Amino acid sequence: MKIFNLVLAGVGGQGILLAAEILGTAAVKEGFDVRVSEVHGMAQRGGAVVSMVRIGEKVFSSLILEGEADVVLGFEPIETLRNVRYASEKTVIMVGDERIPPPALTLKGESYPKIDVILEKLKFFSKRIVPVEASKLAYKAGSPLVQNAVMLGALAATERAPVKKESLMEALKELVPKKYLNINVKAFELGYQYVKNLDLNF
Amino acid sequence: MSNPKSLLEDKPGKKVLMLGNEAIARGVLEAGIGVVTTYPGTPASEIGDTVSAIASDAGVYMEYSVNEIVALEVAGGAANCGVRALTAMKHVGLNVAADALITLAYVGVRGGMVVVTADDPECYSSQNEQDSRLYASLSNLPCLEPSNPQEAKDMTIYAAEISEKLELPVLFRTTTRVSHTRAPVVLGKLSKPNLKGEFIRDAKRLVMVPANSRPRHDVLLQKVERAKETSETSPYNNIARRGKDKECGVISSSSAYNYAVEALDLLGLDFDVLKLGMTHPLPEKMIGRFLMEHDKVIVIEELEPYLELHIKAIAKDLGLKTEIYGKTGHQYFPRSGELSPRKVLEGLSKVTGKKLPISFKSLDKKYTEAVRDLPPRPPILCAGCPHRASFYIIRKVAGGKALYPTDIGCYALGFAPPLNVGDILICMGAGLGTAQGISKTTGAPTIAIIGDSTFFHAGVPRLLNAVYNKHRIVVAVLDNFTTAMTGHQPHPGTGVTGMHTTTERIAIEKVAKGCGVKLVKVVNPFNFKEAEKALKEALAFPETSLVVFRAPCALLLSREKRRRGVEIIPFRVNEKCTNCLACIRLLGCPAITLTEAKTVAINENLCVGCGLCAYVCPYKAIEQSKSPERKDQ
Repeated sequence: MKIFNLVLAGVGGQGILLAAEILGTAAVKEGFDVRVSEVHGMAQRGGAVVSMVRIGEKVFSSLILEGEADVVLGFEPIETLRNVRYASEKTVIMVGDERIPPPALTLKGESYPKIDVILEKLKFFSKRIVPVEASKLAYKAGSPLVQNAVMLGALAATERAPVKKESLMEALKELVPKKYLNINVKAFELGYQYVKNLDLNF
Repeated sequence: MSNPKSLLEDKPGKKVLMLGNEAIARGVLEAGIGVVTTYPGTPASEIGDTVSAIASDAGVYMEYSVNEIVALEVAGGAANCGVRALTAMKHVGLNVAADALITLAYVGVRGGMVVVTADDPECYSSQNEQDSRLYASLSNLPCLEPSNPQEAKDMTIYAAEISEKLELPVLFRTTTRVSHTRAPVVLGKLSKPNLKGEFIRDAKRLVMVPANSRPRHDVLLQKVERAKETSETSPYNNIARRGKDKECGVISSSSAYNYAVEALDLLGLDFDVLKLGMTHPLPEKMIGRFLMEHDKVIVIEELEPYLELHIKAIAKDLGLKTEIYGKTGHQYFPRSGELSPRKVLEGLSKVTGKKLPISFKSLDKKYTEAVRDLPPRPPILCAGCPHRASFYIIRKVAGGKALYPTDIGCYALGFAPPLNVGDILICMGAGLGTAQGISKTTGAPTIAIIGDSTFFHAGVPRLLNAVYNKHRIVVAVLDNFTTAMTGHQPHPGTGVTGMHTTTERIAIEKVAKGCGVKLVKVVNPFNFKEAEKALKEALAFPETSLVVFRAPCALLLSREKRRRGVEIIPFRVNEKCTNCLACIRLLGCPAITLTEAKTVAINENLCVGCGLCAYVCPYKAIEQSKSPERKDQ
């Protein structure tokens, strides 16, 4: 079995590390070997966050080789582009819609780049791009904070990850705070349905 | 692992997804370690935090010590009473602890003692990327290097065992990719921690005056000889892979080993791989045999050529002609920065002449083109951070002619535009120390910036030096009631311990007065006028002065408000805004953004309602989005 390689990219506060842990936990439930890499500390404070998840029968490295990602799960457009070096023409790049302007950009008096420009540049690497209305769906589910559950649902719908939707849901239920369980489950389902309805042919 | 309490489950054989640092905490419970000490620091912090969460249930004593040398000494004291102990710190913390570490090696231990040092290649959250394995050579202590969370747990137990056997503390070196990787860990059996120690008087062994130290140095060297035997037979030093191609072999350790085996597969290379988990002292005989069996040996390791130089010495001693490839001479692998699958792949390809499976050159070209105008996103102070208000006031009052030595913590980020407060940053406490030399030689107004936890950790001796030698500096203590950067651990100013019991808070202003500082002020940085006045007074004072800027960490405050159901009222921009951008240019708050039409807007999800932007706005164009029901701060 080939190792499944996933890159999660976004901004501190978007729930990326929790999403990665949910995937890792689901993989353990199904008896896979898994590595989840994280960076903590300074990078959490509004900085760029990257996590990698690798699932297979036997995994050694917790880092992914450039060009070898099966899916890039981008929580924020600029950060998705920053990590596009892990993608190749086979990679599915999913891009959330929450745009968080880097303060360095605001300081220069510039506004957020046009989303079409970012999507065009992502296409240098792969044509398999899936924009996901993550913040809209999270809001619909009940909180802007559950975009990570939307993105996980969206990932599940692509059927690229070797873990079942049920295992992901089970792991999600174990790891999110009980108080927010219902809106997380709802957000996951909304993300799942959203991508299913796109009827992707890749 | 959602809840640290699940670490208390006594279910041997159960497989759990764990962070490397959580696995070390589980190792503490399986090894029967009774005392755990730490000073937090990335990437080591979760070891202490996880133990702290379960310590009272597990019957373990845990403390956040005031700094790393104290942490090491507390653990060393316990281990000298026969109790197993672990102390955890980041790599630069080991520098702080080094004085005690190197002589503790002479003294030795009776209970197993594990000294965890977590290295940070790539400086993700550190001021340097030192390779702490060199401390093993310097101190003559055994050194273990796990390569994944399972090994991190198992080797914690092993470390305690060999420490006891050799009567030496054991260095336990992880890196970011071990400490901060989650992987399945198979649990072992829990052991009941022993906390009851006995001190056996033995001055010759324990009192390191010169007459006793000299013979103890020889005792230490004898212990190293015994440790070599342990290393030769250690289950963590072995040929992890046997290949068909015997011309070439690979020697590796830690995360580098993981990259190496995957890179060999990608290149279609079938070499023997000698994996080293105990890297001091090295298994010289085992390495000698490996060198004899191969014409070429490739050494793959992160940071310094530590293994490589030792392996070259072994080859020389044995008179071997084996070619050894690594970082010295031809640099097949880089000595700086974090190692990655790509760097290992490229190095292996260069040594062996095997073609790379991916054209990195064209990938790099495409990537450079794609990200050409992409704005960077470095870490910044959070929206509502009280330090932003402090920095704004400091810069406003003292201006561009004053000099600002700064220190380690969130507030180090104040050096960046637009706050521009931070002119030199070296290590914990050095802001206060360097300020004295800078002030003495330049005569410029000098404001040393230091955080609350850093003040207790390393500020006090430097403050005494300033007072006693009459250095004219202003010490600005940015007190947010927590060790924020590393995840909100307690310190002596918080009134809480690692065991979650309460204790008396130690007030920074009282310490300062006790140190002899004659002008001490405490202000809330959000009381802008009062804070400005206090700082002006301090600057005018001809000797050492100290101002505590005190307001709680914005993350903790928001969390507390949510918990208590207190509404957070964000600010908004009203029609008086002229788009002068003063708020953006002066503050750089992440909650203040520009719309597509380039007008100023406040992100209400990020704004915590601190009001600093309303204060700096020249047109009164920023206001609370509704009247507060109660006044906070």
